[in-house]
Amino acid sequence: MTGNIELFLIFLRAAALSVGGMAALPQLRQDLVTTGLVTEPQILAALALGKVTPGPTGLYVVSLGYFAAGVFGALLALVAAALPPLGLVAVAGIVRRQLLSPWAAGVVRGVVLSTSGLVVATSITLLAPDRQLLGVPAWQLALAVGAAALAIHGRTHPGVVIVGGAAVGIAFGR
Amino acid sequence: MRPANASPPTRPTLFDLARAWIIVSTQSIGGGPSTLFLMRQQIVERRHWLTHRQFLEDYALSKVSLGINLVALAGLIGSRVAGAGGVAVSLIGLLVPAAMITLALTVGYTLVRDSDLVRAALAGAGPAAAGLTAGIALTFMRQTARRGWRASIDYTYAAAVIGAGLFLGVSPLIVIAVGVLVGAAFLRGETARASGDAGT
Repeated sequence: MTGNIELFLIFLRAAALSVGGMAALPQLRQDLVTTGLVTEPQILAALALGKVTPGPTGLYVVSLGYFAAGVFGALLALVAAALPPLGLVAVAGIVRRQLLSPWAAGVVRGVVLSTSGLVVATSITLLAPDRQLLGVPAWQLALAVGAAALAIHGRTHPGVVIVGGAAVGIAFGR
Repeated sequence: MRPANASPPTRPTLFDLARAWIIVSTQSIGGGPSTLFLMRQQIVERRHWLTHRQFLEDYALSKVSLGINLVALAGLIGSRVAGAGGVAVSLIGLLVPAAMITLALTVGYTLVRDSDLVRAALAGAGPAAAGLTAGIALTFMRQTARRGWRASIDYTYAAAVIGAGLFLGVSPLIVIAVGVLVGAAFLRGETARASGDAGT
């Protein structure tokens, strides 16, 4: 039971300290990997699964929850992800004007740039543990760079990129 | 143009609302951008529950939400068109079907993950996912950065964070706290763009 509460709080904290679904990733990785609940390859698998399923990108937490504690873990992760946005809905009627002020925009910009920067760093270290990019097989490096370029270009469906990556893996990864 | 706080053009029943969200939740493969696209299509263009302007105002507001922005947007829309019941139906309708599909796929993956074929596939899909994630984060930065000369301040700060994350191993909590302070002090102005661009 304690484990479940702890897991819920890990997901809740990561969601409540981030702006945007992907932004929770660095904190989740730190909390889940260091506690041994999830492995680094499982994080990559969760990200890949999240890209080929419908709904907001942030739903990769459902896969992470499942890897950590089965179906109940997935449910905990989902509930934890839904709570912080509910907070905004609750206060929006009262402080709508303040939330749209330049001051609030500055705070949000600071948090978004911080978490986005951390997500970039996290992606690089997921690809190359210990930052040894030279140790990563060239075809994997090329896949990652190509996928990043496609994401920035924004025209290619993320699911297609993942399926394409899997096909390249089957061709080169055995 | 209607004022932003005008009542919606038509008021749906909770059943209709649930049906619209289930369509968004099950058909929006491809993450934030396609989810946002379908939300606008279902709520504004097809069913006329919100005006375009109301949708964009809620979208701008959702960008300051903690957690998944599109979940906040669903809640704001639900609240506007059908009160507290609308919030509950919108959140459940957006999240539960997509989460069940994600869960089913994850369970399926777990069952076959030890096969050589799946291992090889993940050896390719993993780096692709890492690259996509980095690309999405860079796009998010570009959308968040201010325009004109102030963009250089924003990008310098973002680059410093990437460096700190890579080489100093700083805790995310500390980086976020620094982000709040730096944001309040140096990154003010230009509220979230309500252009309907990609959200996550």
